[in-house]
Amino acid sequence: MAVLRRVVTRPSGTIPLIWLAVVGFCALFPTVVATHDPNAADFASLLEGPSGAHYFGTDELGRDTFSRVVDAARPAALAGLQAVSISLILGLPIGLFVGYAGGWWDRIVMRVVDAIFSLPGLILAFAIVAILGPGLTNAMYSVGFLFSLRVIRLVRGMVLSVREEPFIEAARLSGAPTTTVLGRYLLPNMMGPLIVQTTISFAAVLIIEAALSFLGLGVQQPDATWGSMLRDARSFQRDNPWIPWPPGLAITLTVLAFNTLGDTLRDVLAAGPGGGSKAPRRGVALGLADGATTAARPAVDDTADPDPEALLSVRNLSVIVPTSTGPAPAVRGLDVDLRPGEIVGLVGESGSGKTVSALAVAGLLPRGVTIDPGSRIHFDGQQLVGLTEARMAQVRGTGIGMIFQDPTASLNPALTVGYQLAEPLRIHHGLSRAAATDRSVELLDRVGVANPRERLRDYPHQFSGGMAQRVMIAMALASEPSLIIADEPTTALDVTTQRQVLELLVELCDDLSMAMLFITHDLGVVAEICDRAVVMYAGQAVETGDVHELFATPDHPYSRALLASVPLLDDDEDRLVTIPGRVPGPGEQIVGCRFASRCEQAHDACAAGPVDLVTLAGGDRSSRCLLSAAAVEDGA
Amino acid sequence: MTGSLLRVENLVVEFRGGGAFALRRETVTAVKDVSFHIGAGDAYGLVGESGSGKTTTGRCVLGLQAPTSGSITLGTDDVGELRKRDPQLLHQRIQAVFQNPIASLNPAMTVARILAEPLRRLVGMKDPAAARTRGEELLDAVRLPTDVLDRRPTELSGGMAQRVSIARALASSPSLIVLDEAVSALDVATQAQVINLLADLRDETGVSYLFIGHDLAVVRHLCDRIGVMSQGALVEEGTADQVCHSPQDDYTRRLLDAVPVPDPTVKRVRHGHTTR
Ligand SMILES: Nc1ncnc2c1ncn2[C@@H]1O[C@H](COP(=O)(O)OP(=O)(O)OP(=O)(O)O)[C@@H](O)[C@H]1O
Ligand code: SF4
Ligand SMILES: [Mg+2]
Repeated sequence: MAVLRRVVTRPSGTIPLIWLAVVGFCALFPTVVATHDPNAADFASLLEGPSGAHYFGTDELGRDTFSRVVDAARPAALAGLQAVSISLILGLPIGLFVGYAGGWWDRIVMRVVDAIFSLPGLILAFAIVAILGPGLTNAMYSVGFLFSLRVIRLVRGMVLSVREEPFIEAARLSGAPTTTVLGRYLLPNMMGPLIVQTTISFAAVLIIEAALSFLGLGVQQPDATWGSMLRDARSFQRDNPWIPWPPGLAITLTVLAFNTLGDTLRDVLAAGPGGGSKAPRRGVALGLADGATTAARPAVDDTADPDPEALLSVRNLSVIVPTSTGPAPAVRGLDVDLRPGEIVGLVGESGSGKTVSALAVAGLLPRGVTIDPGSRIHFDGQQLVGLTEARMAQVRGTGIGMIFQDPTASLNPALTVGYQLAEPLRIHHGLSRAAATDRSVELLDRVGVANPRERLRDYPHQFSGGMAQRVMIAMALASEPSLIIADEPTTALDVTTQRQVLELLVELCDDLSMAMLFITHDLGVVAEICDRAVVMYAGQAVETGDVHELFATPDHPYSRALLASVPLLDDDEDRLVTIPGRVPGPGEQIVGCRFASRCEQAHDACAAGPVDLVTLAGGDRSSRCLLSAAAVEDGA
Repeated sequence: MTGSLLRVENLVVEFRGGGAFALRRETVTAVKDVSFHIGAGDAYGLVGESGSGKTTTGRCVLGLQAPTSGSITLGTDDVGELRKRDPQLLHQRIQAVFQNPIASLNPAMTVARILAEPLRRLVGMKDPAAARTRGEELLDAVRLPTDVLDRRPTELSGGMAQRVSIARALASSPSLIVLDEAVSALDVATQAQVINLLADLRDETGVSYLFIGHDLAVVRHLCDRIGVMSQGALVEEGTADQVCHSPQDDYTRRLLDAVPVPDPTVKRVRHGHTTR
């Protein structure tokens, strides 16, 4: 499995796995590892320190501590397995069922789950133990029951979020029965989060088991568990200060191992399939230097300095992505400037590199995707390329807000909107719980969500697409940014809602003097809200300029073709104009103009060598086409 | 219209809202008394903003949602009855393409398997080799190279994934395809290609479309007739030209007005800001 391979290639995966393998081995074959009978008392050597005969010393009955710690791995593992399997056996079907069936069932079960959840967990576990009687198995039943609630919540949340996914509906339309849909379609797509949850549950079970045993509610004497060893150690700590260390360390290390492994799994799974193990972590210089072949003056010299007046000044940005043929540039030498308060559109077909550029600026590139070290991104006078993850998070937290296309996918379905809004305010801005809530209400109100205080308690799926996007905007505003990067924020919305959200964004930019880098493939939207636009094609800017000029007299053949393919309300053509072919991928080697294979005006010279971006007569516009270059030459 | 393939008559869909223990249980009427017909080989557009009931209407037609009252007839069969009697036959005759191209395809399957599912379950094509050959034909019909068969959805672009969804819908040779926002998530260039493809496929196979969308400029390019829905009701219906050029209803006018126009001089959300 690819995931497993990626987990073991990281130290944060390897080390916990090795430790857990050791624990697992002890649990399976305690007699092989143990040096003594763990329960054999030896009154000749009471409370001894570590020695060659007793690696970890002995306890108050002279039993070998090393052997007891090893022996206790089995009840720990059993306890974990019991509790976790009970939680899965109970939680999985119930979660699947209520999530899929919905309606009454869902409401009743979730009320009950929420009610139980509001009780302190350990107290509930005590209550169950009190009813069932002490003993590790009973304790683990109760813990398993408690954890099943968590699994129900998780599974139900995931089912809710994928239940209406088109591929589930499509499966039903393809004639698949319900059980097949649940088993073959829903489950595999939920495995990731479940595995993570299970791993982390193991850690929690160990702690609870230790706590219960420590309080004498777990395993009965003489069998050792790490918790009961700790409890016994308490009384003799004064005679032998060493005595609590072995069980203590065993618990700590094992819990740590499970948690670290859980985190690593989460990272790996979040990176998505194929998330670049092949790609180098650091940028590689790929020889992007385009030999200057045209006599015309390049619009922006590669060595040109960032615009000092600009809030954001991107120079020569290249972003390297992994492809089947090795690392290749998805963005090739992009220059963009944003003045304070300005709205600049980044427009182009799917695959032209818009998102990758935006993520590069925000420092949010996925694993395996890297910025070429020759790139420069100046934001607020600071060079962002090369900043550490932590510094970059700080820049984002205080200066750059992000809005993505799919609001519901960007929100966690299992947490209330209020929690997701308030959490970063508490972490990054150090607000108290009450202050964070007040600020959240203020933010929701600002973006036009009605009844903000009540809506804080709602879950993301209770918001319509437009309202969810307003919530995302509120989150972006939380850091009082001077720059908003919006990646297709209205593409998933209907035209009327889109208009409202666009109006909101423009109003916010004006009122709060924010600049916005607005990514879209919709030229209509660019025309309505942007001051300037950059048309991107296959990783390059092919035309830039003021929107009024650009739409009135598009210069580059690609810009013209793109404009022509927009369906209009009032043209008489039945067939739409299309651009034949498709955008070349990052890995495709093209010597000449990257648009040549689809260009109606392509001629021999176009394939000869790279084409530069040239400044057009009249100043503030540029275009990457030999025809424009020739026109500029003629005019000059 | 006598030769109607699909007749939707007085369709009403109600959802019961409110919490389990809420004192007041509100009923939301998602679709209010909607009627329209689609002729064989016709393309009918249903437009409106999200929440206007168009998707619910489409789901009723697909048999994914039971109507509260009213009837839906496909040819001579009642859709509700057909769903109970022979769901496979219903799904064979009415198929769908949804909005999100990548999400419409199970990420755990290859394209070959995605196409084999309806072939096996709806057409009874059990032989894997035959299904593969048919899969190649289907990809060819939607202008995709056959090597796409062995790829997974995550390895496809949005436009390619949407073509695969269309191929899957075509697999059972349906008489009607419900296209719910099927081109809304595609970029302009790809959208234009897919719209033209859908038009060509209609000419080639005689399939009918129920095309659900929110952008009148797009819907008008594919559809003969358009119905406009607002808050569950059909507020206007007519030929594409009538609806787009002489709208009768205020809501239709608002919908037309919200369509972004790629011309900064026409109407603009942003005023006044100048930078240099
Ligand atoms: N994580 C990644 N690993 C490998 N390649 C990637 C990755 N992300 C993007 N790419 C590639 O980089 C290129 C540009 O992708 P990008 O997502 O930036 O395009 P886009 O202009 O945002 O398109 P869209 O309109 O579809 O959002 C594409 O060829 C894409 O396949
Ligand atoms: S350089 Fe040639 S191929 Fe490229 S856009 Fe201009 S005319 Fe077309
Ligand atoms: Mg993108």
